[in-house]
Amino acid sequence: MTSKHPQHPNHNHHRKQIPLPCPHLSAFRSNHGGANPFRALQSCLRIRPLGRAAIRRDPAEVPRCATCGSSAASRLYACLSCAAVSCFPHSAAHADSGHVIAVDVDRAELFCCACKDQVFDRDFDAAVVLAAASAASSSSLGLRQPENLRKRRRVDYRPWAPDSRERVLVSRGSVPLPGNPPDPADPASCFPRGLRGLNNLGNTCFMNSVLQALLHTPPLRNFFLSDRHNRFLCQQKNGRKSGSGGGDGKNSMLRRICLACDLDAIFSAVFSGDRTPYSPAKFLYSWWQHAANLASYEQQDAHEFFISMLDGIHEKVEQDQRKPRSQGNGECCIAHRVFSGILRSDVTCTVCGFTSTTYDPCVDISLDLEPGQGTARHSTTKSHACNGEIDSVLSSQGCGISTLIGCLDRFTRPEKLGSDQKFFCQHCKVRQESLKQMSIRKLPLVSCFHIKRFEHSPIRKMSRKVDRYLQFPFSLDMAPYLSSSILRSRFGNRIFNFDGDDSETSAESSEFELFAVVTHTGRLDAGHYVTYLRLNNHWYKCDDAWITQVSENIVRAAQGYMMFYVQKILYYKASENLVSS
Amino acid sequence: MSVPNDDNTSRHSQLSSHCFGDLLDSIIADIASECHRIARLGLDRNLEDEEEELRLSTQARVRVADPSNSGETNSKYVVDIFGQTHPAVANEIFDCMNCKRSIMAGRFAPHLEKCMGKGRKARLKSTRSGTAAQNRQARGSPVSAYASYSNSTTNVNRVANGTPGPAADEYGEGGFDEP
Repeated sequence: MTSKHPQHPNHNHHRKQIPLPCPHLSAFRSNHGGANPFRALQSCLRIRPLGRAAIRRDPAEVPRCATCGSSAASRLYACLSCAAVSCFPHSAAHADSGHVIAVDVDRAELFCCACKDQVFDRDFDAAVVLAAASAASSSSLGLRQPENLRKRRRVDYRPWAPDSRERVLVSRGSVPLPGNPPDPADPASCFPRGLRGLNNLGNTCFMNSVLQALLHTPPLRNFFLSDRHNRFLCQQKNGRKSGSGGGDGKNSMLRRICLACDLDAIFSAVFSGDRTPYSPAKFLYSWWQHAANLASYEQQDAHEFFISMLDGIHEKVEQDQRKPRSQGNGECCIAHRVFSGILRSDVTCTVCGFTSTTYDPCVDISLDLEPGQGTARHSTTKSHACNGEIDSVLSSQGCGISTLIGCLDRFTRPEKLGSDQKFFCQHCKVRQESLKQMSIRKLPLVSCFHIKRFEHSPIRKMSRKVDRYLQFPFSLDMAPYLSSSILRSRFGNRIFNFDGDDSETSAESSEFELFAVVTHTGRLDAGHYVTYLRLNNHWYKCDDAWITQVSENIVRAAQGYMMFYVQKILYYKASENLVSS
Repeated sequence: MSVPNDDNTSRHSQLSSHCFGDLLDSIIADIASECHRIARLGLDRNLEDEEEELRLSTQARVRVADPSNSGETNSKYVVDIFGQTHPAVANEIFDCMNCKRSIMAGRFAPHLEKCMGKGRKARLKSTRSGTAAQNRQARGSPVSAYASYSNSTTNVNRVANGTPGPAADEYGEGGFDEP
């Protein structure tokens, strides 16, 4: 049973927007002319490190309502025209005198006494942010761009069709694949291309599961199916380079291992239309030669294999002067072009607010499950749901279910470093207690989330697996975890262009769609990996050689270990033609 | 209303509850102001979508846990979507790229381990040291309903007489240790 796609009638209603000023604010701005009508306020902005901005004429001022003398009112407003302070109930009276715009002295928020509402202004917010930044004497606003960050070039879509000459070329140089057009009599031709089982070569489901996910990673699939890494040409080049004639067996074995070539072979085989299970033996052989120096390769799990494989594809990249070796900007190889993003780490001194920022590339995000969340509570909830009270189980906090979004919230929340981990503050010149916060500076084309289900304790010499269920969405918006969003909330959600905040990171490019889930069942030492693939909005279970179709309920209920999301703009939605995917 | 007697204590408690009330009002105004800004600037998260996903997930788990539903999860496979059946141990035969011998697919990895000299037991055997002290962590054994004999059968096939045939190769010592 497939659910209808969540409707998005107001899909963009939650997108970032700057509200238009009320007429009173517009009038105030034009009356107080100049580029910055709030210039007078800037000297009154008082910022505490890690605290809220306040308005005080002098630091020791205790604002009081001019009418009733109260200094404890929950809201005190200072008139921007005459600096008279009123509590909220008495602010309307002051507005009658024509002074309409005021500022909340404890929150540095503009207030329109005529509209009786908070109003927002870009210039005012910019003044607050800059005051806060200079008070912390930090460059945390990201005016210094991370190295290797290049704006991803956008190319306008242009439709293309081959002309007659190209059509001749295509027909001369290719052969139609079997099953084209789909033939109802032949079941194999009615399923998406590229669906093919992988034989288990002996405990290799860890490799098969990751391979299945990668075979259907849209940008990676497109790269190899477009012949961007032709294994024949690559091997030819390698053969020439190794110098030997390549006649005897030993030299042919010395021919450079290229995981990309082996992957290219797998793509060709899997998309050929042949549906009998394929044995990725050559790939295993090549990978073991690459991964030979991994300390304890017996302990490989699917995630370690994934990392190792991406590294293998990267390592064999031609040492081309034009291509940088560092993976930061993802220009080095296809593996990083697809999976590499940039993480930002901020460490803030709790005493002076100085923030030290570093950027690191990453090919995936490893997330911790919440420590010891109530299993007892969980089973109670389950019995409720079985009794039909599904609707009562709404908020994840309420029912104690771990969610991917919850993990991401925890990944990006400010974390107090322990007192034994005091950071050296360059401003205070001593070690101080600090806050650390992660955020995503640049999203990759494909986000892989790895759930840390295997806990290895070197002290106790034992490992255990965390079986707790984790809910993951089919559509995921990564906007709240971007550096610009995290920074913005740190500065009170002011209207300002924070680090990474540009038109490139528009709504479309932060929305992701799930396309593959690698699951693990069983124990740590006797377990099994299976991959679920989403093609044309149907879900297929890839269990080594067995490909079966499953309902999305099976996938939602599965124990996710690695979840693969692709940027929505690269994801082809369901089409009527079941075969094209 | 203050009670005539106990004047001092009631005034104290009045003052402190006024004080508390002011603090509470201030905190409430803080949160209201922040939420107002977030809502007006369109920075709030799309809770409807998130709750919908959560609801679908809960519903799915109920449906899957219900034994009366067709056992899609761990039932034995009969045929795959292409109408094919597969044995528990893959029986495709191909040549090992290291030693050129014919190997059965399902036994290729353990063969290759020894063939490339990587297997723990292979290394130990060659250095004539004692038996392996640790169990090797399985990298993921095909333990599911349809493979009811994964470990035991492979041990049965351990015929260590040195004649490599297509099906029985001496991968035995490099095999799967029972946990």
